Amino acid sequence: MASWEIVAKATEFISEEMGVALKRSAISPNIRERMDHSCAILDTEGNIVAQAEHIPVHLGSFRIGSRNIVSWLNRNSMILQEGDMLIVNDPYISGTHLNDVTIIAPIYFEGDLSGYVINKAHNVDVGGPVFGSLNPSASTLFEEGLVIPPSRFLINDKVNKEVLNFITENFKDADTAIGDLNAQMAANRSGIRRVTELFRRYGKAFVHESWNKSIEHTNRLSLLELKNWNKGVFEAIDYLERNDEKVPVRVSLEVKENGIKADFTGSSDQVDFPINAVIGVTYSATAFAIRSFMKSEIPTNEGFYRVLEIIAPEGCIVNPRKPAAVSGGNVETTQRVADVVLAALSKCMPDRAVAASSGTMMNIMMGGRRKNGKFWSYYETVGGGNGGRPTGPGVSGVHSNMTNTLNTPVEIAEKEYPLLFTTYKLRDGSGGKGLHSGGDGVIRGFKVMLPTKLSIIADRFKVTPSGAHGGESGKTGEIDIIHNGEKKEMPSKFSFSLDSGDEVIIRTPGGGGFGSLPHRQ
Amino acid sequence: MIFESVKQTVVAVDVGGTFTDIVISADGKITGFYKVPTTPRNPETGILDGLKKYCNTEISEFLHATTIATNSLLGQHGLEIEPVALITTKGFRDIIEIGRQNRPKLYDLLFERPKVLVTKENRYEIDERVDVDGNILKNIDLGELRKPLEEIRKRNIRSVAVAFLHSYANPDNELKIGRELQKVIEYVSLSSTVAPEPREYERTSTATVNAALMPVTSGYIRKLDNSMKNFGSPSLSIMASSGGLISAEEATTRPVQIVESGPAAGVIAASEFSKLIGLKNVISFDMGGTTAKAGTIRNFEVEITSEYEVGGQSHHGRMTKGSGYPVRFPFVDLAEVSAGGGTIIWKDAAGALKIGPLSAGADPGPVSYGKGGTEPTITDANLVTGIIRDSMLGSEMKLNKESAKDALSKLGEPFGIAGEALRLVDLEMARAIRIVTVERGIDPLDFSIMAFGGAGPQHAARIAEEIGVDHVIIPPEPGVFSALGLMFSDWKYESRISYPRDLQESFGKLEKKMREKFPHAEFLYYADCRYSGQGSELTIPVGSTDVKLKELQDAFEEAHMKAFGFKLERKVDVVTIRIFAVIKRTSPKIVSSEHSDSAGDNRTILEGGKWIEARTITRHSLKPGSKITGPALIDEYGSTTYVPSGWEASPGNNLEIHLRRVR
Repeated sequence: MASWEIVAKATEFISEEMGVALKRSAISPNIRERMDHSCAILDTEGNIVAQAEHIPVHLGSFRIGSRNIVSWLNRNSMILQEGDMLIVNDPYISGTHLNDVTIIAPIYFEGDLSGYVINKAHNVDVGGPVFGSLNPSASTLFEEGLVIPPSRFLINDKVNKEVLNFITENFKDADTAIGDLNAQMAANRSGIRRVTELFRRYGKAFVHESWNKSIEHTNRLSLLELKNWNKGVFEAIDYLERNDEKVPVRVSLEVKENGIKADFTGSSDQVDFPINAVIGVTYSATAFAIRSFMKSEIPTNEGFYRVLEIIAPEGCIVNPRKPAAVSGGNVETTQRVADVVLAALSKCMPDRAVAASSGTMMNIMMGGRRKNGKFWSYYETVGGGNGGRPTGPGVSGVHSNMTNTLNTPVEIAEKEYPLLFTTYKLRDGSGGKGLHSGGDGVIRGFKVMLPTKLSIIADRFKVTPSGAHGGESGKTGEIDIIHNGEKKEMPSKFSFSLDSGDEVIIRTPGGGGFGSLPHRQ
Repeated sequence: MIFESVKQTVVAVDVGGTFTDIVISADGKITGFYKVPTTPRNPETGILDGLKKYCNTEISEFLHATTIATNSLLGQHGLEIEPVALITTKGFRDIIEIGRQNRPKLYDLLFERPKVLVTKENRYEIDERVDVDGNILKNIDLGELRKPLEEIRKRNIRSVAVAFLHSYANPDNELKIGRELQKVIEYVSLSSTVAPEPREYERTSTATVNAALMPVTSGYIRKLDNSMKNFGSPSLSIMASSGGLISAEEATTRPVQIVESGPAAGVIAASEFSKLIGLKNVISFDMGGTTAKAGTIRNFEVEITSEYEVGGQSHHGRMTKGSGYPVRFPFVDLAEVSAGGGTIIWKDAAGALKIGPLSAGADPGPVSYGKGGTEPTITDANLVTGIIRDSMLGSEMKLNKESAKDALSKLGEPFGIAGEALRLVDLEMARAIRIVTVERGIDPLDFSIMAFGGAGPQHAARIAEEIGVDHVIIPPEPGVFSALGLMFSDWKYESRISYPRDLQESFGKLEKKMREKFPHAEFLYYADCRYSGQGSELTIPVGSTDVKLKELQDAFEEAHMKAFGFKLERKVDVVTIRIFAVIKRTSPKIVSSEHSDSAGDNRTILEGGKWIEARTITRHSLKPGSKITGPALIDEYGSTTYVPSGWEASPGNNLEIHLRRVR
């Protein structure tokens, strides 16, 4: 007889293999290169049994999304039959932003529904007024892109043309989108095949029992972790920026023997601006911070998620009502939620405290027409300084917390786009001073060789990444544009029309310092 | 065993973490296989000791697989690299530190990147610029070099790397600086010479790793050469990561190509042996004390990749991006898992059974070795379940079964724990094989597994069952098979150009350059292609320099279809073209050896939770045409082959053992 550990490990490997199948067959660089996707295996209730670790922002949102979808199916008395797959990108159901398209499929074994496979991938464009569907001036969801409610994309192994047509008529690069959706379906198929193999080999009852044991084991492991944590309520507040206004995100974190409650009451009300974070994002960022403070290797499944309870009043910035705009919530607010939870945890366990990291993904969206008349469009995020840690200085020029994508090499960007880079180096001295200084941000400068429309969604231009234990703050972000020879200082969120020869210089924030500097004699 | 070979003494030496394996052939015959302890700090000492003991003649050829480069980079065994300096384009000084901006671990706030190879004060900028088409936008003023050079020399830095933007498209500025440097600096590494291809971080990293390795590799080869004077100063060849031998001189100027020397030798051994027995699709599976490595051989050829990170960590066999130093050079495509005989068996805080990634290594080693190990390992599990015996053939070392059992008892009922741990380790290794097959678009069911390394033959059949493969080959001398592989290898030298403007002309230029150096070589041609806009390339073999762009594009589309299951309506870009000059060596040929009959004692083994009697024989007593039905154990010097129930073993014509699943 095999042990549950073997089935649990095999299940974990299957979720990873799904991720590889997706990455291998996807077309857009965003999925292939940046791995902006996640895959998981669910039991019949929608609980996550195993999830492959690809990108943190999908971590807990998957848990919310999976449950929402399964309960939506139940509510609507919709049963997914063998060979069906359901597609959804409504952030208020699937839990991140419109670009993250989720596809879920049932696993049938000997005629019975025996589990689900699910995956989510960031599609580069899901319609709406701007390229890339991250619109710095959106005031509602409708100004961001196409909302796909839960719909059967595949019926009895055949693509549902009606749903497909809605997609191809709205997504701006339909070819790429179709390729990526095919890859997502391929990933689910490989998952179904491999889980069915497990059922056959070990017996369905034993596999299900092993899944439950694995969840219980993870839960036990997570609670054991909490045993060593100081109990009590720990509070933290930090801010997002909307023009000159500071938008508060507040958390009150209660660490108990039997779990952690994160209460976001007191955070800003939702805003008519694309920085609202749906509850799935809030859940992810909270889960990320807590998971990062745990010392042992915790499997990613329901057993860990069960330890967390999130309270966020409906209508606030971290749990908005539909149709608040949410595209930037997934990339910027998510960082701030992670920041406040990490800050609260640092109070809970001062010996594990870390200083704040750069706190912005510095999203750059730009595009225009090439000399041959064809459109080009480019999306990039830029890393910054990582906060100082008890073990040493913060790392410089790195993606922190909720993102971990790769840069586009200068030599590749210059080959593909009408750009000439002028600088790409560390921003010396931008990390906060301290016993262990914060990591430095990055300076990335480029000239556009053709007229170009530029949009930026960033943050931390006014509120600095704070230090810990007396360390100083990191420097804020800055963007200068040299427009027809004249220098302009830009805010954190804007759109701008660049002329040929204009230069953009981006300086990302440094991390906060850790510990006070030794006193000078 | 007898080889027919050239009438000279050839010595092949593979230095591993624990043992240095030596294979000697003299006058066409293999005179011996030996294992001597590795002396990691000064590997040449162990080699010399071994040769003094086992080889008392002049050596004409010395073939070598070495870990000196990897160990130095990782700072292992007291080896380390000297500080190096880096010269870059103005404004781009920190590319080597920023990397690709990602971090190697997602949920670890205390994550560290690999230690940066050039500290900030040793990075210098020169005002120069080349554009993507190779046009020089800014010429070099050599006067700018004066101050950096003063500082570099003041700091006693002996090795300097130069990496300018787009130098793969036009190396002139780099060459100018290089000429100046060479006047006063001992070791100079130009990115356009070491790895002329786009992606500034990867190229800079390759040039810097090369600069860092030049002093240590040169020193090692010098010492090795000196030690060989007593053996008639044989010609020295070193196995490159791409699976070909290179001269000592090439290894000292571009040492970056020998970082995976040992593992490459193993795969080459498997591919050469697959040719000998006429089996075209083989998974090579090499399991030793601390790691297991899987590679594929398709149509008798090894698979090559150009994406690799030296010293990187892998997560269940998949390389974690950003955990090591990228090196752009052809590598034999391998998946590596931290699972070997020394892998530690443990339980986590909530009581789940786990294996690895910690390893007891060679020191202290498994509990049963009695060298101070206290935590049970996979070898201990194989011992208490009867798979391996407590005294190894040809070795005086005795394993202590009782102490292994006691150590396992700390985790629970010892035999149950051992059985589960073995299943977990088999699952982990099956994973490595799935990565090099399923994840590369290959169906493992079309393949046979060739298992070697000390622990490979113990696990091979069980892993095959895990994947669904029905045929396993245990080659002769599995314990020293990689060293044997060196005997079969050819010399292979690489050269490349990126973004060729005219395919045929560029291939012609490369070939001409290589032919001047190697007039007697045969040539292999490759092109790295991708769909326009894609992020990575596929390496496509090309028949000759006359290749038409259209043919190459078609071949790429076919390969893309095979690997990823679809084609695109998109332009195909040729990013880099590559030539290998291959100079053939006379391969030894295996002929049949003497058999000596000796029956072993049967052992009781734990299989599927039950104790059963397994027939035990020694490998030398296997008779041609015989069939051994599992459960059975075949013991030999340095290894044991486990034939589980439901499997059958039979000797082949080239001294290999075939294991076949019969139910």
